[in-house]
Amino acid sequence: MPTSEQEEIARAAADLVAQQLPTSELRARTDEPDAVSSKAWQACAEMGLLALGLPAAVGGAGCAAVEETLLFRELGRHVAPGPFLSTVLGGHLALAAGDAELAGRIAAGSVRVAYLEPARGQDGMRGQRPDVAPEEFSGDAQLRDWAGAELALLLSPVGAGLVSVEALGEIKPCVSIDPGVRIAEVRAERAPLRAWAPTGQRDLHTLGLLLVAAQLVGIAQACRDMSVHHAKTREQFGRPIGVNQAIKHRCADMALAAERADAQLLFAAASYDAARADTEFQVRSAKLAAADAARSNAASNVQVHGGMGWTSEFDAHLFVERAEVLENTLATRTESLAVVLDLPAPQ
Amino acid sequence: MDVEFSIAQREFRDEVRTWLSENAPKESRPTDGAATREYDLAWQRTQHEAGWAGISWPKEYGGRGSTLIEQLIWYEEYGRANLPSVDSCFVGLNHAGPTLMATASDEQKQYHLPKILSGEVIWCQGFSEPGAGSDLAALGARAEIDGDELVVTGQKIWTSFANTADWQELLVRTSRGDRKHDGITWVICDMHSPGIEIRPIKTMDGGAEFCEVFYDEVRIPISNVVGEIDRGWQVAMSTLSFERGTAFTAGQVRLAHIVERLIDFARTQIGPDGRRPAIADDEIGRRLATARAEVATMRAMTYTGISRSVRQGSPGPEGSIVKLYFAELQKEIARLAMDIMGADGLKFVSRWLPDSWSGYFLFAFSQSIGGGTSEIQRNIIGERVLGLPR
Repeated sequence: MPTSEQEEIARAAADLVAQQLPTSELRARTDEPDAVSSKAWQACAEMGLLALGLPAAVGGAGCAAVEETLLFRELGRHVAPGPFLSTVLGGHLALAAGDAELAGRIAAGSVRVAYLEPARGQDGMRGQRPDVAPEEFSGDAQLRDWAGAELALLLSPVGAGLVSVEALGEIKPCVSIDPGVRIAEVRAERAPLRAWAPTGQRDLHTLGLLLVAAQLVGIAQACRDMSVHHAKTREQFGRPIGVNQAIKHRCADMALAAERADAQLLFAAASYDAARADTEFQVRSAKLAAADAARSNAASNVQVHGGMGWTSEFDAHLFVERAEVLENTLATRTESLAVVLDLPAPQ
Repeated sequence: MDVEFSIAQREFRDEVRTWLSENAPKESRPTDGAATREYDLAWQRTQHEAGWAGISWPKEYGGRGSTLIEQLIWYEEYGRANLPSVDSCFVGLNHAGPTLMATASDEQKQYHLPKILSGEVIWCQGFSEPGAGSDLAALGARAEIDGDELVVTGQKIWTSFANTADWQELLVRTSRGDRKHDGITWVICDMHSPGIEIRPIKTMDGGAEFCEVFYDEVRIPISNVVGEIDRGWQVAMSTLSFERGTAFTAGQVRLAHIVERLIDFARTQIGPDGRRPAIADDEIGRRLATARAEVATMRAMTYTGISRSVRQGSPGPEGSIVKLYFAELQKEIARLAMDIMGADGLKFVSRWLPDSWSGYFLFAFSQSIGGGTSEIQRNIIGERVLGLPR
C-alpha cells in the first residue's frame, strides 16, 4: 500500500485535475484543435504534473514510479484530456538520451509531446537492434494529440525515440470516438529521430504500460463510484435501485474488478521502482487487469444508468471511449497475453 | 511501499525453504477419515516442534510471535513446495484460534490455543443448519440453560471433519428476541459428548469429511461459552471476517503454483489438434496467460489485505472481495485444466494425489459455496464495502 505522503501527492494532483480539466472543459473544446487549453496545460506544468519523476535539476520532483502511477490513476479517474503520457515519457526519454535541456523544457510545459502508435503490421522500432541507435522512422502510424506539440513519442520494447511532428509529413485528422483524444493518420518517410534511448536501466516501454494501466484503473474506479452513487439515489418501484441484487451484484463485481486491478497496479509500480526481476510480468498483468476492469466497469456504468447512460451529455460514454484508446496504446490484450505466457514464471 | 523482502525476511525465507525440503511428509495424504486425522496432526506436530506453528500467533499461546509477513513467507514457501494443505487443522488454526484470541477468557485461551498449535486436537465448525444456510442468523439449534450447563438439541450440517474432530465452534440459540441476530451463543462443544450423532455426507469430489451432526440433549458447561450468552453473532462475525480476510492466504498463494504446474503440464500434454502441445493452441495459450496474470492480481490483493490487516488490526469486509475472486478463479482454472486434459480428465483422481486435475475440478465447485456463497459475498461487498441499501 502507498504511504500517506504518496497518497497526499495523489490527492493534490486529483484536486488540480478536477479544477483544471473538468469534463465540461473537454466538451467545450470539441471544435478546438487540442482538447486541453494552453492555460490548463501550463497550470498542470506549474504544479509539476509533467515532471513528477524527473530530478530537481531539470525542474522535476524526483519522485518514483509509484507517485507517477498515482498521478496517472487520477488522470484516468477524471478522463483528463491532453498528451500527458507521451509528454511525461518524453521528459524521461530526453533525460535518458542525455538532453537535459529538452527534458527541462518538457517539464516546464513549453514543449508538448504527441503520441505515435505504429499501425498494425508495422513494427515501429521493434525490429531495431538495441545496441544500434536508429536514425529515422518510416511507416504508417496513428498520431494523437499533436496540436501545439513539437515532438512525437515512439515507444518500443527495444527503446524509445522522439521525432519531430513536422517531419511526419501530411497529417490527416480523423474523427475520434473519444472527444478528449485527437487522432490523425500519418505516413512517415524517413523521419529523423531527435532523441533515442535504448531500453536499458530505464525501461520506458514498461513504464508506459504502467502509466496506461494506471489510467485504466482510474477509469474502473470512477465508473464503480458513479454506479454506486446512482444505485443509492435513483429510485424505481418506490425504492433505490441498489436494493436489487441485479444492480447490487453488478456493483460488487465492479468493485472486485477495480480492487484487483488497483492492487496489481500498485504492486507493479513498486516492482518497477525496486527493479524486481519479474517487473515486466507484473506490469503486463497490471495492464491486462486494468483494461479488463476499465472496459467492463465502463460498460456496466452505462447499463446501471439506463437511458441517461447512453446519452452524449452524460459522462458515462467518455469512460467507455477512453478505455478503448488506452487498450490500443502500447500493447493490446492479445499482444500482452502472448508476452505473459512467454515470460519466465514470476518470483 | 515494499515489494522485496528485507535481509532478515530473506534469511527467514531461506530457513523455511530448507526446513520444508528436509522435513515435509514424503507420502501422499491418505483419503479416509481416521488416517487423515493422524496424518494431519502428525504433520502439525512436526511443524510445532520445530517452531513453525502459529508464526504470527503470540508467544504466550505457543506461537512464534512474528508478523503476518513472516506468516506469508511461510505460506509462499509451503505453496512452492507443493505440500498438502492441513485441511483438518484449518478450522482450529484459522477460525477458532483467532476467534478465541479475540474474544475468549484467559482460561479458555490457555487451555485451547496451545493444543491447536501443537497438533493435539482437531476443531470443526457447527454453524449451518438445514434451515439456516446463507441466512445463518435463522439458526434454531436450541440451548436451554440448566444450572451451569447448556443443554443443546438440534442439527448442524456441512460440518467438515466432524467425524474426526475433538472440539467444535458451535452456534446455538439461547433466546428468541425481536431480532434473529440476538439470542445466539458461541460455545465450545466437546465432540465426544454423549448425545452427539455424526453422519458423513459424501461430496461430488469423493470426499468423506463432510458431515451432518445431530444433538440430543447434549450438555455443555456454561464455562465453554465464548463472549456473552446471546451475543454470539458478534463473535461469529469476527470469525468469518478472519476466514474471508487472511485465512485463505495459504490457498491463494498455492493457486499461483497450481497455475505454474498447469502451464508446465500443457507443454507436454497433446493439445486439441492432436499434434502440438496444448500450450500451442491459441485459445488454451491465452487462457493460461490470463490465468497467470489473474493469479498475480489475486496475490497482489492478498498482499494488500495483509498490509491492511497490519495497519487496521483486522481484515474488514474487504476480505469478501478476495474471497469472491479466489472462489471464481479456482473454478475458472479447474475448467481450464479439464480442457487441457481432454478425455484424460474423465479419469477420477482424488484431489489429494499429485497433479489430480479431475479431483480439483470437482472440488472447485465447493469454493463458491463454502464460507458464504459468492452471492452472499456480493451482498456483503454491496452493502458493507460500497454502502448500498439493503
